Amino acid sequence: MDMVRLVRDKGFLIGSCSDRTLSGQRAIWAEHDIEVDFVVAKHMLPDVKAKFEADTYLHIGDREDLDRQYALKAGFDFLWPDEAVAHPHFKPED
Amino acid sequence: MSTPTAPDAIYRNDEGLGIWEHRGKVAAVGVGHAPTSRRWDGRPETCVGAITIDALRKAIDDAGVAPNQIDGLVVVPVTTTGAFWEQGKPLPMDVIQSFNQTDDPLDGVAKLSAEWLLANMPELTNVQFTMYGPGCMSNALNVTAQAVGDGLTHTCLVVKSWHNFEGRYYQGGANAGDAIPGTPAITQLWGGPASYSTALQFAEYCRKYGKNHEMMAPFMENSRRNGLMFPEGYWAQHRPEKLLPEDYLASRWIAKPANLFDNDIPIMMSGAYLFSTSERAQDMKQKPVYILNHASSNTRPRSLLPTLDEVEADTARTARKIYEGAGITADDLSFENMYDGFSLFHQFHLEGLGYRGIKFGEALDFYQTDISIEGPNPVSPSGGNVGSGRSRVWMHTDCIQQLQGRAGPRQVTGVKPEVGVSGGPMPLGGNFTVWSASPD
Repeated sequence: MDMVRLVRDKGFLIGSCSDRTLSGQRAIWAEHDIEVDFVVAKHMLPDVKAKFEADTYLHIGDREDLDRQYALKAGFDFLWPDEAVAHPHFKPED
Repeated sequence: MSTPTAPDAIYRNDEGLGIWEHRGKVAAVGVGHAPTSRRWDGRPETCVGAITIDALRKAIDDAGVAPNQIDGLVVVPVTTTGAFWEQGKPLPMDVIQSFNQTDDPLDGVAKLSAEWLLANMPELTNVQFTMYGPGCMSNALNVTAQAVGDGLTHTCLVVKSWHNFEGRYYQGGANAGDAIPGTPAITQLWGGPASYSTALQFAEYCRKYGKNHEMMAPFMENSRRNGLMFPEGYWAQHRPEKLLPEDYLASRWIAKPANLFDNDIPIMMSGAYLFSTSERAQDMKQKPVYILNHASSNTRPRSLLPTLDEVEADTARTARKIYEGAGITADDLSFENMYDGFSLFHQFHLEGLGYRGIKFGEALDFYQTDISIEGPNPVSPSGGNVGSGRSRVWMHTDCIQQLQGRAGPRQVTGVKPEVGVSGGPMPLGGNFTVWSASPD
């Protein structure tokens, strides 16, 4: 959640894309007091891309079949969780 | 002791058998459930054998029976439909060696034998009768009821457990091979998800009757609501999340028109009951719940998959068997707990029963009315697999608890709980039990 807050403060558009229910995803974000730009089901990354104009689109997930493949097909870049931790996006700005 | 699989003669497959000869003379008393989890974490104390022992001991304690009074054990030996121990994967020897073993090293880890259970429950010193009920608790309950009625056992435990390993469900075992032997080589020819046959039947149902998938939403919401009031269940224990219509309808297709939530979530679980004769049950700790009948469907479809016409004919036939043997009519049902995993066939069972007078093609309209536990027409008060995860057990536990008045916040209040029915799994091919608060 700290990573999410960090990129939120950096101005990234953020949200979640999951097989969890939409209401369940919203509940998790609310529990951590994080305002998100979108909450969608697993197969709806194309809708996110259509709705938001951005320089890059990035999905972080932990499943080859249900995360990486969906993300690449939707035109998103993909990072595994350990790759995301090390990615410059998730480092504090100097 | 070598445990046989129940013979065909134990089941009531046919119409015209009349009132069940043991109607009201067999009772369920004790209920036991182990804690659920999404997947096995590899520890001995959470393997499927361990949770089964836990559930059995809870059922014994719940009934208030001394273990040495138990003389029967009915077991469902298969503990998964889609999570198999990968061929060549090293055996978990630390787990295996934590228990008394049988000849099969995966006994207690990926399957269950009566011998393994008895070897690891030394308190069961007087079990003389053991039998396997294949597949489901629904089947094992039929076996248990008949065995107690026939005098093969007077105080009998019955148990069904499920394991779930890491990895994708249904993608191991025979499905991982280059060839599939036997009938599945034809029936699974196209390699579709497990729910695809139900999805096809549901699609035809919608076409025939002018209905649509969105009309399932109230049933799904109601089932999850009931499940969240089922403290033994997975969703209540681990993820107390509602399933609102928006959530259900936004979910991705698995086999259109079956979406993710139309497919029940695989879990680790174990559920056990203690059955006895109605006479002996009077002295036990809980109120007896009497068995009025058990009935089965062993109908074979004419082709690869049952058509909607075959489904409707067979659910109606099953209902006639259920009512005939119990000596009741649809009007006598206080509630129904027919199977729902996959959710898209619950309405087939419901319409076959003629529950609350509904006819074929009317169940989805019925779902738009008050089907809650507070109303006059409770549908699936257990919440079923939708409400508590893949087990095929919740429906039976709920029938017992409703009729004992022990369903807690899930207790039906819109009707007096007097007679319930549960069973499954499939519209063609299932086993059903009629439960009653009184033996008459």
